[in-house]
Amino acid sequence: MNSRLQCTTVLAAALISVSVRSAFGDDRPTAISFQQQILPILSERCFACHGPDETSREADLRLDQRDDAVRSRDGSFVIRPGDPQASTLIDRITAADDDERMPPPDSGNEPLTPEQIRLLRRWIEQGAPWSGHWAWKPPQRPPVPTASSANAVATPVDAFVLARLEKEGLQPAPPADRETLIRRAYLDLLGLPPSPEQVDEFLNDRRPDAWVRLIDRLLDSPHYGERWARFWLDAARYADSDGFEKDKPRSVWFYRDWVIRAFNSDMPYDRFIIEQIAGDLLPGASQDQRVATGFLRNSMINEEGGIDPEEFRMQAMFDRMDAIGKSIVGITLQCGQCHNHKYEPFSQRDYYRMFAFLNNAHEAQPVVYTPEQQAKRQNVLDRVEQIERSLKESMPDWQERMARWETTVLARQPEWSVLTIENAGDNNQRYLPQEDGSVLAQGYAPTRFTATFHAADSSEEIRSFRLEVLTDPNLPAGGPGRALDGQMALTEFQVTAESLRDPGQRQDVHFVRAVADYSNPPRQLGPPYTDRQGNSSGTIGPVEYAIDGDDRTAWGIDAGPGRRNQDHQAVFVADRNIAYPGGTKLIIRLKQNQGGWNSNDNQTLNLGRFRISVSAAAPETDPLPPAVRKILAVPADRRTPEQQRTVFSCWRRTVPEWQQASRQIERVWKDHPEGTTQLTLLERPRPRTTHVLERGSFLRPLEAVDPGTPAFLHPMPSDGTPLRLAFARWLVARDSPTTARAIVNRIWQAYFGTGLVDTPEDLGTTGSAPTHPDLLDWLAVELMDHDWKLRHVHRMIVLSRTYRQSSQVSEALLRKDPDNRLLARGARFRPDAEIVHDILLSAAGLLVPEIGGPSVCPPAPPFLFRRPVSYGFKSWPYARDEQRFRRALYIFRFRSVPYPSLQTFDAPSGEYATVRRPRTNTPLQSLVTLNAPLFFEAAQGLARRMLQQNSRSDEDRIVYGFRCCTGRRPAENEQRILENYLRRQRERFRSGTIDAAELFVDSYGRKITSPSGTDDAEFASWILLSRVLLNLDETITRG
Amino acid sequence: MTENPIDQISRQMARRWFLKDCGVGLGAVALQQLLAREAAAAPGPLAPKKPHFAPRARNVIFLFMGGGPSHLELFDYKPVLARFDGQLPPAELIRDYRAAFINPASKLLGPKFRFRRYGACGAELSELLPNMGTVVDEIAIVKSMVTDAFNHAPAQIFMSTGTQQFGKPSLGAWVSWGLGSESDNLPAFVVFSSGNKGPSGGNANWGSGFLPTVHQGVSLRTSGDPVLYLSNPPGVDSRTQRDTLDTIGQLNRIRYQTVGDPEIETRIRSFEMAFRMQSSAPELMDISQEPAHVLKRYGIEPGKPGFAMNCLLARRLVERGVRFVELFHESWDQHGGLVRGLTKNCQDTEKACAALIGDLKDHGLLDETLVIWGGEFGRTPMVQGSSDGRDHHPNCFTMWLAGGGVRGGVTLGRSDDFGFHVVEDRVHVHDLHHTILHLLGFDPQRLSFRFQGLDQRLTGVEPTRLVTEILA
Repeated sequence: MNSRLQCTTVLAAALISVSVRSAFGDDRPTAISFQQQILPILSERCFACHGPDETSREADLRLDQRDDAVRSRDGSFVIRPGDPQASTLIDRITAADDDERMPPPDSGNEPLTPEQIRLLRRWIEQGAPWSGHWAWKPPQRPPVPTASSANAVATPVDAFVLARLEKEGLQPAPPADRETLIRRAYLDLLGLPPSPEQVDEFLNDRRPDAWVRLIDRLLDSPHYGERWARFWLDAARYADSDGFEKDKPRSVWFYRDWVIRAFNSDMPYDRFIIEQIAGDLLPGASQDQRVATGFLRNSMINEEGGIDPEEFRMQAMFDRMDAIGKSIVGITLQCGQCHNHKYEPFSQRDYYRMFAFLNNAHEAQPVVYTPEQQAKRQNVLDRVEQIERSLKESMPDWQERMARWETTVLARQPEWSVLTIENAGDNNQRYLPQEDGSVLAQGYAPTRFTATFHAADSSEEIRSFRLEVLTDPNLPAGGPGRALDGQMALTEFQVTAESLRDPGQRQDVHFVRAVADYSNPPRQLGPPYTDRQGNSSGTIGPVEYAIDGDDRTAWGIDAGPGRRNQDHQAVFVADRNIAYPGGTKLIIRLKQNQGGWNSNDNQTLNLGRFRISVSAAAPETDPLPPAVRKILAVPADRRTPEQQRTVFSCWRRTVPEWQQASRQIERVWKDHPEGTTQLTLLERPRPRTTHVLERGSFLRPLEAVDPGTPAFLHPMPSDGTPLRLAFARWLVARDSPTTARAIVNRIWQAYFGTGLVDTPEDLGTTGSAPTHPDLLDWLAVELMDHDWKLRHVHRMIVLSRTYRQSSQVSEALLRKDPDNRLLARGARFRPDAEIVHDILLSAAGLLVPEIGGPSVCPPAPPFLFRRPVSYGFKSWPYARDEQRFRRALYIFRFRSVPYPSLQTFDAPSGEYATVRRPRTNTPLQSLVTLNAPLFFEAAQGLARRMLQQNSRSDEDRIVYGFRCCTGRRPAENEQRILENYLRRQRERFRSGTIDAAELFVDSYGRKITSPSGTDDAEFASWILLSRVLLNLDETITRG
Repeated sequence: MTENPIDQISRQMARRWFLKDCGVGLGAVALQQLLAREAAAAPGPLAPKKPHFAPRARNVIFLFMGGGPSHLELFDYKPVLARFDGQLPPAELIRDYRAAFINPASKLLGPKFRFRRYGACGAELSELLPNMGTVVDEIAIVKSMVTDAFNHAPAQIFMSTGTQQFGKPSLGAWVSWGLGSESDNLPAFVVFSSGNKGPSGGNANWGSGFLPTVHQGVSLRTSGDPVLYLSNPPGVDSRTQRDTLDTIGQLNRIRYQTVGDPEIETRIRSFEMAFRMQSSAPELMDISQEPAHVLKRYGIEPGKPGFAMNCLLARRLVERGVRFVELFHESWDQHGGLVRGLTKNCQDTEKACAALIGDLKDHGLLDETLVIWGGEFGRTPMVQGSSDGRDHHPNCFTMWLAGGGVRGGVTLGRSDDFGFHVVEDRVHVHDLHHTILHLLGFDPQRLSFRFQGLDQRLTGVEPTRLVTEILA
């Protein structure tokens, strides 16, 4: 730190007589740039107390607005444009006295450096010109600079880069050789290396537009969508588990696949964002559009015991704001959670007004279907309808008969009074009271337990209890249970009645009868509903199971796919009136014993939402399904066709002559596909009120706020669109200043290792200034002018000469521009973790190119998923056979236990949005590529690939293997080193010093054999040679 | 230290430009030498660095007792609580109190164990801690800890990173970033896990947040490979491995000569360190050379992994220059089975904790090694269940510190008669972090990293205090 101060002091002293230069030395003899040179000083050193936040403003001075900074204060001026001597700012920042000097020593801010002071003085001399922060003005198309040599410009990108290079007195590097170029393009666009055959094809394509053809072919490849999906999934903090302590697996791969398809179809970026923020609110929203809102649902969920679900819903909301800030607008919003922004004109109130757009959704988890499944499902629905239609045709007076049936069943519905139930347990699982008197179970989901509730009732007669199990958007698959598919199982329904007047009087209620609108046929439960040893947790079936006193049996409502998630009800009839005169306290125990053994996994069969009522009646027959009961309350002529069908389906089962047809319909339903669930947002009909939260605490709400956008940004049109949708459109409006810039900057970052702004998460006043501001704006405008199609931006970059430069670097250039911000050379870096993984498996010829589907669990040490490494036991069903060679994009991501090789190569855990990965180079990475069983298997694969070449010469085979890994042919000295290595291994294996066969195990420890015609020593030698090739720096580098 | 790498580089650039282009009187030769020296010291991210001022401690061993140990049974004896056993707590005590599981108006539960005074300082410890009693003059007990969170994962993340939000660097990562590593064959920040479960907060407890990922904790294990993928693949002996690395190195160097990218040199060094780690890590784990009395002192049964073994390894790691060792022992969540659970936990850990302090001292390492013991929160004086459990409690709990710059024999802080609120010398988690950083030679205000437009700090934005009372 000392040396820094000394250094800058000396530096500044020397600069007094020298012209001002930026870090890169561009000549600006006189004009100081407010944007680039002054604003950063003011915002970093002054705004905390003299900035936009009025609550922390000192001395009634703001330095973020010119009017206030230059106004007269009783004749004196903080800044007097043109006259530094008369500007008290200069006095204060240069004061020797600690009490006088700004920033004050106790602010934690160091004094301004002499260089900063000098800049401020010169700037005031020059009249203190002011302009707002660049990023708050919507980008305008800048003129494309004219380059001195027109043929140096392949796309306008080059013109901007060359203009800067010329200013710096630098020359662009020559183009890289074609082998390097094709590999670069493959890795950047597909995340996969080219095969030697693909390289040859390109090398042999002598057409002048060979490069353009290659790029267009790659952009059309389905693997393009995979590679760029991963790019977006970092920002979307995608992971396959909940995070926090339980970190249970969740089902979100439909969202991941949606992102892949969006990139592959070149969905316009504005639509891409709109669907992710508010796809569910688009008119006639498709399944895909609802799935897209999974973006917001990628927040973590805490279901450890003892939590308040609302506290962690708020945490998830904060996370969503953070994700929108980082990934869409490129602005740090987080500060507003607790206080006014110190550096941007963005108040805490602004934060909660934006928050309010998002604060009105259910945390939904609907069942979703693949296109094939959708077709199958439609077919089932059509066939059922067809049969029902023919039934109607066969009975001309069906409507009258149905109406008579309705009257009869309505007449025998008992009167129910809904109990207000209160959990009397220990708050493990939480029960949120709902308006209709039901409760919604949230938070920790134990797997085997008894939930106890208390209720009081003043009826004179209580003969029966009704338990309604209800669907709810916030339950998996919509419920009514908390199992992943919305199932539940009720082991026992037990009630103790106690006299309110005399608590000594109590009785355990004896039930004589149980009826339900539906029970599934008896079925023994299988995995995951087992004990540790794999024994079934019991049997689900008729509702009588809930009063049979047997803990191994439970009432089940599993009507199979397509009809699983419906409201149901059971009625339990007591042997006599159990009410006490003067009121009865009811202690109701819902025993739920059929879950699995591991409450850190999805093994629960708990009731999700339910309501309990009592009646003086003692019904004999099965109740109506709650859905039908609700419809019957609607006059027949006002029912929707859907409602009419529901009633008909219920009634037809009671018609004696239709029994056969009803059985036939049951058989048709068996063809209904099992779907998958996906976390999505679903707008609530009644809005929540959003409050400003004091220091972000949900326990300390301050004033209520309406949804709205910050005043300093572009206005949001109000045209009656649902609010979240309007907000989504506002984010990607043409005059949104940062949205287009943020995404083109990150695309640039993906190609060149660093963005044009190197703080992609923050384009605001505290972020870095762009190295090529005009280029950034040009790209942003190009994107918007081309219908927000990202592929156009990719083409503009990849077709440029800038992109195609060689990455070889001289020491002089390295010294001048170590991070290659000026782009006088091509970028060279180790690609992202997933690409490293895919390179190794591709080079080995093992990679399985299948696209999409559930995530897979490739080899990993089992201890990672057990205690005491993992909090609880995690299920990691090892991908058998070639599925273990899927692309890294598909590796199952547990947030609390990241896949080790990906973590080691800096892949984010998905616990928060990431738009800039660190890129490290560590010994642990070397251990992974050298020794991880999966990558040793890659060495075996590459050896096989080399040995399967037609040529039997070592030389040719080595060349081939080298090309698989690096894309190029080895130089002579490299070839010799490899041949010698191979020879030494052969000698050792042949001499029997080491045993070749020991190398022949796959990543699950299974024996493998040498390829036919190759002896063990030979195969083993080639495996080791392959291991060398796979571990070359060049193999895992994009050059 | 307050700069981010980008600033550092632009500063270096400016300096180079100044030296070169301004020709400020240095001869060309001197300039070359200066630049060459700079290049040689071109610091890897883990090169040792000096803190802001002379440190009192160079290394840290954090014994993280996950789950929330009961201060009321271990360190903070409350005779009044014993007297009120079975009665409801005073209404004003629990006003606005949020409990994780219990109804706050649950009956008070008297301490389950007896206490006695130990050592010259006369500190009061539970009968469960007889061995800690023998080193009590070496430790500073802080009975006035306070935290912000009362659920496990958030509270652990808070203790580990100073915030409940994910994405911030852990204490160990800050220390690794600030001080670098003294070892060239072991990671700077090492993590072990023992006990009933893994940590609730998962890997984020030792994550690097926005700091470079080289600073994240590396999990070590006492069975199987100590470091993941440390062993060669089957059939690859050490000679083959050496030959392989030499060949890879040769080819990488050729590549370096062609393309000139210094990252290749880093890659070459990484492979070499990996190779060294392949022998240094097993050597570290090989405790067969440790005398029998040392094993006995820790209570280690050879071949049996666990907390005691990890304590000995922590000492061996510190000996080898590893900066920050964190032992997670997640077993302290006694909602029920308080008596049996605490008895077992103390049997599993307290002897080893005491041995660690004594052993560090015997090796002359205690002076420069800061040892910290504690969990994410304490437990309620109110009962959970019938009579043998306690709920999570953030308002008051106990931790202890020893070694590097800590004054032994001190007991700081006092709680009320129920061990519910702190009434004297409150130490918030941020104050603890402040004090730890201070002992390592850092001004917590200045140990900052610019990210998302803010100077991010472990201790956050609110003022924090240095707990001078426990400093030597």
